[in-house]
Amino acid sequence: MKKYSRELTVAGVLVLLLLVLAVTAPAFYDPQPMLSRLAREAPTLILACGVALVMVCRQIDISIGSMFAVCGVCSGLLAAEGHPLAVVLAATILIGAVLGAVNGALVAGLRLPSIVVTLATMVILREGLRWQQQGAFINLPDAWQWFGLSQRGGQFTLIGCAFLVLVVLAWASRNFAGIRFLYAVGTNAEAARLAGLRPQWMTFAVFVFMGALTGLAALLNVVQSPQVDPKSGTGLELEAIAAAVVGGVAVSGGRGNLWGVFAGVLLLASINPALTYLHVEPYWEKAIQGAIILLAVIFDGLRNRPEVS
Amino acid sequence: MSAPESNHGTTRRIGALLFRHETVLLIVLVAECLYFNAVGRRFGTLDNTFDIMRHSAEIGLLALVMTPIILTGGIDLSVGSLLGLCAILFGKLWRDAGLSLPVAAVCTLAIGACAGGLNAALIARLRLPALIVTLGTYSLFRGLAEAITRGVDTFTDFPDSFLALGQKHFAGLPTQVWFFLAVAIGIWLLVHRTSFGRSFRAIGFAPEGARFAGLPVARRVALVYILAGVVAALAAIIYTARLGQAKADAGTGYELFAITAVVLGGTSIFGGTGSVHGTLLGVAAIAVLNNGLVHARQPREVAGMLTGALLLAALGASEIPKLLAKLRAPRHLAGPPPISPP
Amino acid sequence: MNRFFALALCASLALFSSCNKSSDSGSGSNGKKLTVALMPKSKGNAYFISCKAGADEAAKEMGVDLLFDGPTEPDPAKQNEIIDNWITLGVDVIAAACENKEGISTALKRAREKGIKVITYDSDANPDARDFFINQATPEGIAQTLMDEAARLTDSEGEFAIITASLTAANMNEWRKDIEARLAAKYPKMKLVETKPCDDLKDKAQTEATNLLSAYPNLKLIMAICSPAVPGAAEAVKQAGKTGKVKVIGLGLPSENRKYVHEGVTQSVILWKTKDLGYLTIKAAADLANGKLKPGAKEYDAGKLGKLKVEGDSIVLGQPFIFNESNIDQFDF
Repeated sequence: MKKYSRELTVAGVLVLLLLVLAVTAPAFYDPQPMLSRLAREAPTLILACGVALVMVCRQIDISIGSMFAVCGVCSGLLAAEGHPLAVVLAATILIGAVLGAVNGALVAGLRLPSIVVTLATMVILREGLRWQQQGAFINLPDAWQWFGLSQRGGQFTLIGCAFLVLVVLAWASRNFAGIRFLYAVGTNAEAARLAGLRPQWMTFAVFVFMGALTGLAALLNVVQSPQVDPKSGTGLELEAIAAAVVGGVAVSGGRGNLWGVFAGVLLLASINPALTYLHVEPYWEKAIQGAIILLAVIFDGLRNRPEVS
Repeated sequence: MSAPESNHGTTRRIGALLFRHETVLLIVLVAECLYFNAVGRRFGTLDNTFDIMRHSAEIGLLALVMTPIILTGGIDLSVGSLLGLCAILFGKLWRDAGLSLPVAAVCTLAIGACAGGLNAALIARLRLPALIVTLGTYSLFRGLAEAITRGVDTFTDFPDSFLALGQKHFAGLPTQVWFFLAVAIGIWLLVHRTSFGRSFRAIGFAPEGARFAGLPVARRVALVYILAGVVAALAAIIYTARLGQAKADAGTGYELFAITAVVLGGTSIFGGTGSVHGTLLGVAAIAVLNNGLVHARQPREVAGMLTGALLLAALGASEIPKLLAKLRAPRHLAGPPPISPP
Repeated sequence: MNRFFALALCASLALFSSCNKSSDSGSGSNGKKLTVALMPKSKGNAYFISCKAGADEAAKEMGVDLLFDGPTEPDPAKQNEIIDNWITLGVDVIAAACENKEGISTALKRAREKGIKVITYDSDANPDARDFFINQATPEGIAQTLMDEAARLTDSEGEFAIITASLTAANMNEWRKDIEARLAAKYPKMKLVETKPCDDLKDKAQTEATNLLSAYPNLKLIMAICSPAVPGAAEAVKQAGKTGKVKVIGLGLPSENRKYVHEGVTQSVILWKTKDLGYLTIKAAADLANGKLKPGAKEYDAGKLGKLKVEGDSIVLGQPFIFNESNIDQFDF
């Protein structure tokens, strides 16, 4: 139990918030808006899972927002040209993986610090996309929304997809050697190397994986409306990283549980609706979000006080 | 014996000098100036140089104070948001609390120090990771600025004597440049000429080792974050004078520019090595690039992309020789790969 | 070593500053092509891109060199920096859509001191910072059209909500003020329950609208005053199954809202002919520089747009235009 006290605390805060809303604003639980909100958060959950694995490996990726936008626009353009779903899905994931591979090559191959590399790629991708699209929306063919399913069906599919990714990764992080090795690399890369692992290849792989997940998340976002906004994804890296951190993932690597990340995503995603339902002024949103991140990390620090002063 | 050796030594030293990071950056800067001078009719004028100085004063201040922070192995993502918060508090103290401008300015600097103190307490005292703490304060400070002004309130109609700080000249240079130079010299001396500065590097290299060596690590680290708060507040005042207006979204994105300039200038993001003059060159390189591309009639997005590319090139340039050396070295002589820090 | 670098840096900057032509005041006279610098509120905004289409047309017609540049980041100081650059470049006329009224006036006044003509379009600066304001419709006019249309669709009673871009966007805040004034003056039975920002993102607007629809079950209308929010709010209403029950109106481009208007989700999209606005801006800019348009004029011949009224120092394009089911297909922007 103590091992999971961090994740349980986050879950506890989330449950508390949900209880408060149940009492003061039961409209929060209306099925249709709830379903819409969950569907909108599905891409964020996928991104948060991916970035949690990157952070477990002692790296960070702040370019995921820009990669998300690029993948979204690419999938929109492909869809508008009439390619079938399978092709667009494969292509988007591939594009994401390639972008992730660029990050990975620079970080793992050239041993450059990931925060600076992903800062550079974030800016290059964002400005490049803006230059190319000039803010124009992309109109999708009619059959594209919700994968051609009904609205309910589509929303359940999206939520199911994200949840599946979460479950698979969470299971894998306990039972699949490949993911468990990431924890080893994040804890002490040199020890991992001596133990026979190849930290550089694993780091490269985790960035490629992050890119692929970003492509998937972008597609899940694109099918939710008939137009693609090239500005989508702005600020998403902040949301995903904050959710991972609040959920207990350590930025110094080696520690983190995907169920905690799940709780983190839900908690941070509930702040804004909670403000609306509780009729609180919207300009408190950023301050509250910042306070939650600080509280989460302070809690971490107090819990892990080193014995040696 | 000494003559040939000293010749060899001199050649080596010149070689080492030429390949130092700062030298390469200086060459890049000069190349930028030459190119834009050729392409843009008005690039090389004094007016334009003053423009570049005025536009990069606040961001340059943030980059300067970010240097010792990164040297200690930390980071501060909240400086841009703090600039916005200080700007509106400055306006509020002057307009709503009725304080005179000098008093309001001093109060703002104090508020900046307190805000930096929050970062300092969490990072230095509680030993929390700087990236996440300042990620939290990045949202918190901006959020407080929006909440205090409800997003809509702006502060304007400052007296001309105040606006001269940001818009007029003093003794030949734009007024804010004198403040910038003072802070630049101060931080340079702090980092390169005091034991404090040496201790920053020590802390960046090995915080535990520094602690065991008797350095008051917590106090030194706290100092740099509080200093960042004060400098951010100063930058906020200059910004307000330059724009003639204080708004809650002032300074959005400045922290990324500051980090880019510091890393471009050769400071390692992991801490331990770096220089203030490198940061100055980094600020100059980016500012000249942004300005020059306007004169070269290029769209603004190109400036962003080139800055990102320049950053990667600068990083890669210092790593590629190391990588090549490692590949060339016989396997059994090659040491273990360095432990990859975050 | 360190001093070497500092000296080298100062030397190179000084070298380049001094060995070059000192700044001469505005060129462009004596038969050289006029340079008009056009600034949107931000680049990558489809609304301003459509204005630019008209501006390009006018530039070709008038034979002027058109510079188009704008901020890509939200920092308020960026517009000023671009204007500073243009002053140094020595353009003849600056035409700017102002994000921050007072902030940008600082830079525009400096431009006028250097002999550069200044006009504003879409959002005004301080009156003493520019020669003319190309007014597609006054802020009051825009706000009143929005509020009156909202009242018409809800029979002047009920709750409504506003979605804006950000809480700090200057011209939207002016519209909000005028909307609230009109609401208080003319529609006492209507209530504005919330104003939410969407950070200029369609997806965020959709989420905000979803929450608003559920948190305020008696909501009768959503007014989206930033253009990405109009389709975002419409999609939220459609997904909530409240098409027709909750009305959607807003300021947006016809091309982005066509589908929703035909489906009956969005009732009215209010805008103006953006291409004409861009055209008028550049034509007036050129005429201002070559003396055909003088301060104090009562009327202005705007070429293909006809003779337009000049009210004080505002050239008015006309009233806001309401796009709805019946006419939205006639427009291609």
